[in-house]
Amino acid sequence: MLSTLRNHVTVLGNPEGPVLVFAHGFGCDQNMWRRVLPAFEASHRIVLFDHVGAGRSDVSTYDKQKYSTLDGYAADLLQICEELDLQDVTLVAHSVSAMMAVVAAIASPERFARLVLVAPSPCYVDDRSTGYVGGFSEEDIEGLLESLDSNYFGWASAMAPMVMGKPEEPQLGEELTGSFCAADPEIASDFARVTFLSDSRDLLHQVRTPALVLQCSDDMLAPTEVGDYVHEQLAGSTLVRLAATGHCPHISAPDETSEAILRYLRSPG
Amino acid sequence: MTDFERLFSQAPCGYLTTSDDGTITTVNDTFLRWTGHQESDLVGTRLQKLFPIGDQVLYSTHCQPLLRMVGAVAEIAVEVVGVDRVRRAALLSAAREPATPEAPAEVRVVIFSAHERRRYEKELLAARRRAEHSDAQRADAEADLARLVHHDGLTGLPNRTALEAHLAALLARPGCGRDVALLYVGLDHFKVVNDSLGRAAGDELLVLVGERLTAGAPPGAMVARLGGDEFVVVETGGDVQGVTSLAAGLLVSLAVPMTIEGVEIETSASIGAAQSGADSDTAEGLLRNADIAMYRAKARGRNTWELHDGTVSDPAIDRLRLIGELRRGIERGELRVHYQPRIDLATGEMESVEALVRWQHPTRGLLSPAHFIDLAEETGLVRPLGAWVLEEAVRQAVQWRDTRHTTGRTPVEMSVNLSPRQLAAGDVVEVVTGILQRHGLEPALLTLEITETALVTDADAALAALTALKRLGVQLAVDDFGTGYSSLTYLQRFPVDELKIDQSFVAGLGTGPGDTAIVASCVQLAHAIGLRAVAEGVETEDQRRALVELGCDVGQGYLFSRPVPAVDLDATVAAVLELAG
Repeated sequence: MLSTLRNHVTVLGNPEGPVLVFAHGFGCDQNMWRRVLPAFEASHRIVLFDHVGAGRSDVSTYDKQKYSTLDGYAADLLQICEELDLQDVTLVAHSVSAMMAVVAAIASPERFARLVLVAPSPCYVDDRSTGYVGGFSEEDIEGLLESLDSNYFGWASAMAPMVMGKPEEPQLGEELTGSFCAADPEIASDFARVTFLSDSRDLLHQVRTPALVLQCSDDMLAPTEVGDYVHEQLAGSTLVRLAATGHCPHISAPDETSEAILRYLRSPG
Repeated sequence: MTDFERLFSQAPCGYLTTSDDGTITTVNDTFLRWTGHQESDLVGTRLQKLFPIGDQVLYSTHCQPLLRMVGAVAEIAVEVVGVDRVRRAALLSAAREPATPEAPAEVRVVIFSAHERRRYEKELLAARRRAEHSDAQRADAEADLARLVHHDGLTGLPNRTALEAHLAALLARPGCGRDVALLYVGLDHFKVVNDSLGRAAGDELLVLVGERLTAGAPPGAMVARLGGDEFVVVETGGDVQGVTSLAAGLLVSLAVPMTIEGVEIETSASIGAAQSGADSDTAEGLLRNADIAMYRAKARGRNTWELHDGTVSDPAIDRLRLIGELRRGIERGELRVHYQPRIDLATGEMESVEALVRWQHPTRGLLSPAHFIDLAEETGLVRPLGAWVLEEAVRQAVQWRDTRHTTGRTPVEMSVNLSPRQLAAGDVVEVVTGILQRHGLEPALLTLEITETALVTDADAALAALTALKRLGVQLAVDDFGTGYSSLTYLQRFPVDELKIDQSFVAGLGTGPGDTAIVASCVQLAHAIGLRAVAEGVETEDQRRALVELGCDVGQGYLFSRPVPAVDLDATVAAVLELAG
């Protein structure tokens, strides 16, 4: 199975430009990057994809065993880079994908020039033995799984195409109708378990690729302490605190987010 | 309060407005009443803080991006925690009004109680999960079954079925079915271990050999057991050198002595290797070529390997291979007995059947004795083979006798061939006696057919054996009569009851005066010394009519029926009776 079909890979932008690969996080799909893309389209070659189970990925390729760890998802990411023969990749990864990026960068350091980790967390669950604060208890994560179950049928039928409000970009809204953030509910449940219960803290110090950590204000999934922790553990990383609130700065504050990324890309390695 | 304000405040469900980050700006009375919260406590706090943490995560990772990008979410199931800390199941729909130069963006939220619906959905989901669970259990059971079907019970290795499926899949890969290498591994002198140390020790040896082959094979290769002392290793991607060095490596690892039941056993193997290519692009072809190469290795003195060379054909090797195949075929139950009706030419009724052996060869299909009986005779394999056929035929005769008894028909007599080697063996009388007694068949219902050649070759021994058999009460027939140059006086010495005229003469009936004369004299000769005359190979109506005119007693041949499996015989008999009627 070609990863380009499996992961519904989309390639945009300037074919001659340096490569930016965007990895979406939990709860959404590659469409969530749309607001920041205009800032890169002229200068960069842009590669977007959906994790298996999300968006328009090929759900038939879902393998419970393979995707029971972050490694399975990281393997897909690496396969995409390999198939498209991407070099000197800057990998922009949101939320739970940030740790897939870490796994991938450790496995194939030669492939990646830089990492941009948007609202990353290496471990969502508090760890009393080390005093680490992830922000959640295991019961909280169980609660999330329950919440997913409660929305099972709604999720399975994708988002109802009833656009009542006026999106800021109408043409975008129409294009997205019905498919935006659709997900297979069973896979979403597995995905939540894998991503929210993984502990990747031990991996951080193995990363040799320079990284930018984008920390939001008031993000319940990645509190500031977590961003600080990631920055501290990633040798040679840069921490930028965004004014944007919530967990998705690339949606709520696309300009601030893309500017922070561009500034980092222009800075000397 | 305007009408619209009243409508907002007293609406049948909860209404709220929030900013983009969820901060509540207004809330209606219905929502306040439902949750017990005070307006002053809610305005200025985040809506999602009213949800349990799981719903909060979902709201920030899923709903907020949707609101921003699409402008709406519909019927999201959440729980709202009231002032009493009790969770209330609810459905949330929201729409976002983008920012204008005058006002910031606003999210308008409708929340309504959905207790019943939530319960219903939960039940539905639980039922679905249960169904999936039982599906999964069934799949597990099927997987277990598949494992049993595809694995050898002794060694746990894939069996022939699994091997053939694996090979077929490898060879079917587009464009790359040419890199498959197959090593056919046969243990040398395994029978000696079995015979001297017992079957349990032999089994243990086979398990150890399987383990060594698995350890010695490259990762990704398949090691399978075909049965007996034969294993197969399948590898892909290797060149000739890789294959031969693998074969050599396996021989080395098999040569390390094994200790079984306290006895150190030195074992060795012969390995035949073949690669997929023009002349072997099927699983069968590849197996056959590797098998041929293995016999070549055995012929070269064992404990060695040979690579299949399609350009070399050695009759001695072919013969050796066929012997091996036949031996395996007998062990694996590939032999079958078919039955050909013999017809009383005067009445047209079936008077008896002749049992004829067939070999259901795994790759060549159903073989008649012409393909293997000489070889069986030369190697002595004909003795176990013949004994098996006799036993099977007698068992079948008893079964027919018993069922025909209830249907009121006469018992069916059974004719079985006895080969020269069987006749010459000292135990032929014991073998026949044992079989008759085991199954309880009246000896008179059994006719043993001996070829004329067998009588001529060692006449004195044949006479002694036939006399002893005759004493048992069985009937005796001379088969292929007319081909062995025996004279009347000669024939008179033997206690035979029946004379079977060779089919080569029957074939010439009516076409030339010569053959007709020979058949006529055979019939006369038989009758002159009190024997039944039987014509073999009756194929046409003209031949049948000629035989009737000559007074021949019994006929058999394709005109009446070809040899058929026992289960088909009843239908055949019905057809024959119809023909006669």
